[in-house]
Amino acid sequence: MPVTFHIPGALREFTGGRREIQLDHSPGVLADALSLLYSLHPGVRDRVINEQGQVREHINIFVGEENMRYTGGLATVLPPHSEISIVPAVSGG
Amino acid sequence: MIGQVVGHYRVTAKIGEGGMGVVYRAFDETLHRDVALKVVKKDAGPDAQANQNLLQEARASSSLAHPNICTIYEVAETEGELYIVMELVEGKTLRALSGNAGLAPESVLRYGVQIAAALARAHDKGIVHRDLKSANIVVNSSGLVKVLDFGLAKRAGPTILEGPTQSFASTQDVSTISGTLQYMAPEILRGEPADNRSDLWALGIVLYEAAAGNLPFAGRTGFEISSAIMREIPKPLGPPVPPGLWAVIQRCLAKEPAERYQRASEIQAALEAVQWGAVVSANPGADQGGVRTTVLHGVRHARVKRGDFILLVGTTKGAFILRSNTQRSRWEVGGPYFHGHSVYAMAYDSRAGRRRIWASTQNYWGTLLRFSDDFGKSWTNPQDAPIRFPSDAGVSLKNIWQFTLGRPEEPDVLYCGVEPAALFESRDAGETWSLVRGLFDHAHRPRWVPGNGGLALHTIVLDPSDNQRMYVAISSGGVYRTTDGGQTWTPQNRGIRAMFLPNKNPEFGQCIHKIAMHPSHPERLFLQNHWGIYRSDDYGENWKDIANGVPSDFGFAIIVHPRNPNCVYIIPVESDEFRCSCDGRLRVYRTRNCGASWEPLSRGLPQKLAYETVLRDAMTADSFDPAGIYFGTRSGQLFGSRDEGRSWQKILDGLPSVVCVRTAFIASDDTLAKAPQPAPSGSSQEKSPSSRSKSRSPSRSMSRSRKKS
Repeated sequence: MPVTFHIPGALREFTGGRREIQLDHSPGVLADALSLLYSLHPGVRDRVINEQGQVREHINIFVGEENMRYTGGLATVLPPHSEISIVPAVSGG
Repeated sequence: MIGQVVGHYRVTAKIGEGGMGVVYRAFDETLHRDVALKVVKKDAGPDAQANQNLLQEARASSSLAHPNICTIYEVAETEGELYIVMELVEGKTLRALSGNAGLAPESVLRYGVQIAAALARAHDKGIVHRDLKSANIVVNSSGLVKVLDFGLAKRAGPTILEGPTQSFASTQDVSTISGTLQYMAPEILRGEPADNRSDLWALGIVLYEAAAGNLPFAGRTGFEISSAIMREIPKPLGPPVPPGLWAVIQRCLAKEPAERYQRASEIQAALEAVQWGAVVSANPGADQGGVRTTVLHGVRHARVKRGDFILLVGTTKGAFILRSNTQRSRWEVGGPYFHGHSVYAMAYDSRAGRRRIWASTQNYWGTLLRFSDDFGKSWTNPQDAPIRFPSDAGVSLKNIWQFTLGRPEEPDVLYCGVEPAALFESRDAGETWSLVRGLFDHAHRPRWVPGNGGLALHTIVLDPSDNQRMYVAISSGGVYRTTDGGQTWTPQNRGIRAMFLPNKNPEFGQCIHKIAMHPSHPERLFLQNHWGIYRSDDYGENWKDIANGVPSDFGFAIIVHPRNPNCVYIIPVESDEFRCSCDGRLRVYRTRNCGASWEPLSRGLPQKLAYETVLRDAMTADSFDPAGIYFGTRSGQLFGSRDEGRSWQKILDGLPSVVCVRTAFIASDDTLAKAPQPAPSGSSQEKSPSSRSKSRSPSRSMSRSRKKS
């Protein structure tokens, strides 16, 4: 079952301007889907995770409407036809 | 040899024989342990000079303490024969394990991650293997990988690793080059020098061979193999090899080094991602790595031309480039660049004919280093973060606080001071960066604590007279100095107080705010501390308080006059608790006698209700005569003086908080061709016209402006 990423404006430079990226594969968990996204669009990776592989502090990833921080993190299981949103957190001065 | 004693090693058995020599098992009669002893063949061995090189290389390799690297204990000579003593690794080579059928993908991934980790460590230390191959990789019975012969292949003699001409001349019989040519990257065959990316190519070959059981580029002769390496695409690996692993191998085997992974740590991360089940696809239409350039539309640009003078202003919400001529009275503003990003470090690099502006940018999408070669019209936007901690460091980059150019005679050397406190170095003009391990692995590091702005290495001072000596300052860690080019570091804080600790004079742990040096007096350093202004006259061995008559000895910025080494500028703030200009009066203080006395400079600066803060990198000087001094405030005002601080003008206000100010004079081409002058700390400018120049008028106009003032 394909999943769809919603790409924020700041990262579209690295997706050829595309707002949505649909994966033809059926990744089982969020980490798999992200890895596939990074392999297709490498510039996205270092903006979403740090060099230790952790999602950046002020970046939120939602599977559907649920923040992955509360659904198992990168091990969040992806339901069929998941919609994944990458969103900067509300923070800063 | 069996039964003989070489040095204090008793040879007990022959293990094997290779192109470089014979390897024996031996017993170290001093330390009572088994070792491997490699006796270098005389005909393969180096001459006297190369002997010395081999010794140096082995010393470097012996510093590679890593679980996946075979440790070199000693290199010595006896009766004209060179021998290398190393850790005895018992197991099978990856070549033997792979057989003709290849290994299970899980094993390839497990071994691949370890090999990549070993390469990452070596590359961080500046060591390229140059002869990575499956026969040089041993797996012990526990599955632990050891990469052998680090740093030795380079000096191993012409039969192994000479350039293509040598290889071609003797390679009609492939057996003479077996095990080496097959792993050579295309650039080596083209006669170009090997770098760490040539090792990454070899790792791709090793992974392919381990997965498939055969090499990706084959042939009956050296010519055929070389031709395949240069031109052919390897046969794709299908199931059971997972697509993710095949994607990693493909990227390792990109013919052009720039299209490969740029760091072994990236391969390690990619293999780990495949290992934990990620589905990675090799999509031919996928966006591949490399440096990307972003052209900024809808941003106002300053039209910088030769002979112009520019100010680089970094703020907490973006960067600005201000252009003027040598009069420096009217300003055209370009920017803001990098909307919403903090730009803590900027610099102008005119070495080697460049006209390059560097900027560090930080926001919630991470921290990047970027440059522009057209004065801001376009900026690099690298896909992969150029500065990154290796995976074994256990920390991740938060911010780049300092960007420092190497010495004029090292035009490709750059340094970055970062948060968490660490120093990164580039020796290829910023293409690749490596963590300076000598400082990062310092025993004191766990005891450094964050200051108000975080745990940052924010100051880098190079001694222009000694390319092995440099200083860094850490908040809160103190001053550290190296005298061996960064391999070892010592705390240099004697006399500097730490008012926030029970012991006010600790060996380290001070909260240094900034250090300044004049290039003509490298032995003399000036320092603004978290409480205290200091001078050292002995390369940082001892510090004495020089806060004589200033309203407060708390402050951040400190710079030295570009020509007068006795003249220093500071901008005091009231206290730790109230970090604002004293009494609501914005005053710069100057000493012209190395700190024996200080005078306030306030003409033109607000003297009522001016509660301003000037941060550590927000003050700088130009190199005109008389010198211009510039500073920006946390409230977003930018001030300048064209007469060495006697009078000040507001250049701009309404900016976001200013955290970095730098200057540059944009020379004409003929001036660019000359070596730039070393710039005093706090500025990053190339050679500018001085009052002694007969061909230019700015010195005269500056003189007029001085008379007017």
